[in-house]
Amino acid sequence: MSAGAQPTGAGATSLSARWPRSRFALLHLSLQATFVVLCLFAINVSLPTPDRSHAVQEATVAGPNGAAPVRLPTTFPGPTPRLINLALSFTAPEKLTEEWSVMTPRFTNAAQILVNGVVVLDTRRKASNNRPDRNAADIAVIPAQLLRPGVNELGVRLHVWGPLSGFLDTLYVGPDSALRDAYDWRVLLFSTLPVVFSSWQVILAMVLGIMWFKRRQETAYGVLAAAMALGALHTFLIPPEQPSWLAGVRAAAIGSAPLESSLVLVFCMLFLGRRLTPLFTVLALAPGAIIVITGLAGGPEMVRLAFVWLGLPAIALSLGGVVWLTHAAALSRRDLISVLLASAATVLMTCLIRDVLTIVGALPDQRIFVTRMAYAAMMTMIGACLTWRFASALNEVDSFAGRLVTQVREAEDKLRASFAREEQRKHAAALASERTRLTRDLHDGLGGQLVSIVALAERNGAHGAQIGEAARSALRDLRLVIDAMDDIDGDLMLALGAWRERTAARLRPHDIRLDWRPLSPGGLPVHQELRPWHVIQLLRLLDEAVTNTVKHANASSITVSFGSFRDQGGAARGRIIIADDGHGFSGQATPQGRGLDNMRRRAARCGVAYSLDSEPDGVRITLDLPERFPETDNAA
Amino acid sequence: MTAAAADMDSSVGPSGAIMVLLVEDDAPTRERLRDVLAGEPGFTVREAGTLAEARAVLGQTAPDVLLTDLQLPDGHGVDLIRETRARLPGTEIMVISILGDEESVIAAISVGATGYLLKDAFPTDIAATVRDLVAGHSPISASIARFIVRRAQREPDAAVRPQLNTARLTPREIDILWGIAKGFSYADIAAHLGLSRQTVPGHIKSIYRKLEVNTRGEAVFEAVQQGLIKL
Repeated sequence: MSAGAQPTGAGATSLSARWPRSRFALLHLSLQATFVVLCLFAINVSLPTPDRSHAVQEATVAGPNGAAPVRLPTTFPGPTPRLINLALSFTAPEKLTEEWSVMTPRFTNAAQILVNGVVVLDTRRKASNNRPDRNAADIAVIPAQLLRPGVNELGVRLHVWGPLSGFLDTLYVGPDSALRDAYDWRVLLFSTLPVVFSSWQVILAMVLGIMWFKRRQETAYGVLAAAMALGALHTFLIPPEQPSWLAGVRAAAIGSAPLESSLVLVFCMLFLGRRLTPLFTVLALAPGAIIVITGLAGGPEMVRLAFVWLGLPAIALSLGGVVWLTHAAALSRRDLISVLLASAATVLMTCLIRDVLTIVGALPDQRIFVTRMAYAAMMTMIGACLTWRFASALNEVDSFAGRLVTQVREAEDKLRASFAREEQRKHAAALASERTRLTRDLHDGLGGQLVSIVALAERNGAHGAQIGEAARSALRDLRLVIDAMDDIDGDLMLALGAWRERTAARLRPHDIRLDWRPLSPGGLPVHQELRPWHVIQLLRLLDEAVTNTVKHANASSITVSFGSFRDQGGAARGRIIIADDGHGFSGQATPQGRGLDNMRRRAARCGVAYSLDSEPDGVRITLDLPERFPETDNAA
Repeated sequence: MTAAAADMDSSVGPSGAIMVLLVEDDAPTRERLRDVLAGEPGFTVREAGTLAEARAVLGQTAPDVLLTDLQLPDGHGVDLIRETRARLPGTEIMVISILGDEESVIAAISVGATGYLLKDAFPTDIAATVRDLVAGHSPISASIARFIVRRAQREPDAAVRPQLNTARLTPREIDILWGIAKGFSYADIAAHLGLSRQTVPGHIKSIYRKLEVNTRGEAVFEAVQQGLIKL
């Protein structure tokens, strides 16, 4: 039932979104009408026939009341089995230039053709000719010795054994080359093509059967495979010549048509998701089964009766059911697969009605049956559609698997990233708690003592000023160490912000202004790899620059500028410039003091490019930050 | 002392003497601070070395400014701040911090202090900071601003102390805090955010007030507001 549960699945395009119900119904009906017209047009295309000049149509039939004239083609209704003798004639030329043949395009059930009293053609010799549902033609070369210049006798012994009435189409006698083409065409149409269709059916029956075998829930596939296998059997199972002792096999062959049609009905119900009760299944399959059993157990006459009274209504009912089901589905679902199925049912129904009209004699002079071929073609098409759908479903499964793999990979990546984040968070939390502990320790111990020293030194007046300054410097350094341990998420600006405060407070007693000048809107780039020891080194470097200015430069202001710029590689690089407006190193011969060495060393340890310019109007230190801060201390 | 003080126009001061209650157990530090403030015109100073002494003084008089250390021999300054805030709403409260570290300062702010003073601040900065506070201008340091912003932008973690009520901060106030954390002056921040320079210090005090969780009732109200408690 699962095939029915998803009939609009892979391969089917839903039209319902685009078409309102009434408009769709109109469109569907006109489509079906078009199919009927096309179908009738195709059936009425005249079959390949030899030139009319070779036709032999005037005959006399020997009957109990003497000879009666008939004109071919004609039907011979009446009891069966019986033998009908026809006498005809044709004119041969004075001198034969090539072989002559006689061709009978259509006959029911079998014909023996005699030329001048000698049998030249017996259609019963070819087994496939004995099937009334095949539109068989036959041809035979007339031995040259039999032909007389002028009028020749042509006799036909028509064997009729039912279930259909006897029929004989126009005969053709003439040069073989004139007849052979038409004969070959008919063989291609009515013999080769059905075999080709049947071969396809065999292949599809196997494919669908294997699908069903591996996926038992797809019952629809199994039923369709059975119908196709039966159809193929019907084609290749050639019944022996009538009358025969192998009546059962023949009965099975005839009985397969109702069985096939009921299987197709069951398939449609399964495929369209209708509820299928066991009782219905039994009732649907019963007529076909009864005919087969009758064929195996009873005689040919029984089969004929069963087929006419049971088989034909069963076929009509099944096909009617299929037509109703598929059209209802097409109108309610409005998807491509349902419309295709409905169209196939329409074509089959048209062919069946035409064949029934032929059988009951409403269309005289015709004995070409089309339903079987149309059925085989339709089944092949439906099988191909299903295989297509199956392959599409496989593709969908593949792409689903692909998506799943991608999703799993993404989830893995996310998990890994979140794990890394969690690790980082834990690390930050550990650092923060360590910092809190250290802060508390310093606060309660060293910090308080240093503050007391500052207070005591200040109370000693000028005498204690130096001590006070030293203690303040120690306090500043404590704050720097604590600050550097804070998690600043790689944003050096945050460390600089606190440094600015401390430095401004420190410079105020010296009457030196601290100017803060961003060079680019974003400030410094963020360095995720920034570690506390980088921050300490950089801030101490800046502290030392400020100390130098305070001690030696006699400056009134210090300007700290910072910003990012793009290097040659296009990466964002940070730059910090600290400049004073003092007198530079002009007073000193060599500006190679210990402070300067320290600064250079600190810069090198962090991978920072350090440069110092001393001019008479001030000292300017430029720090070019690296693209990435080194993980390990360069000096270590 | 801070960027705020640097930008501040210190001529803005109250008329009449500012009465300061100084609570500090370390004698040299207390004396130093007392000397600095008493030496400035317009200040009268009362001092206390313990929590009990401070409570005794507060029982008699309502100072304009309470300047208190946190570690006291007979208790914690946070309790004193909470009591004073509840009983004397007109008193400005400032905590004296050794390191200006966020743990002590934020703890004080969360119970009602609106400023802090470093114990080793230079004498001129001490008086200026107290005057600014009385004028409604609260000082804030870059590291404290950073701490508040960080707390406001991270998911609340109940285990982290001190507790801080950042839910009511506006985006503008957070922008101001970011500017301070990155070392920009009030003038820079005002220009960048399209504010008047004079209004920035007022914003700081408002931020401090919002961070305060000073009564049980308010704490419950905030908890309900933030969905921590379901009624």
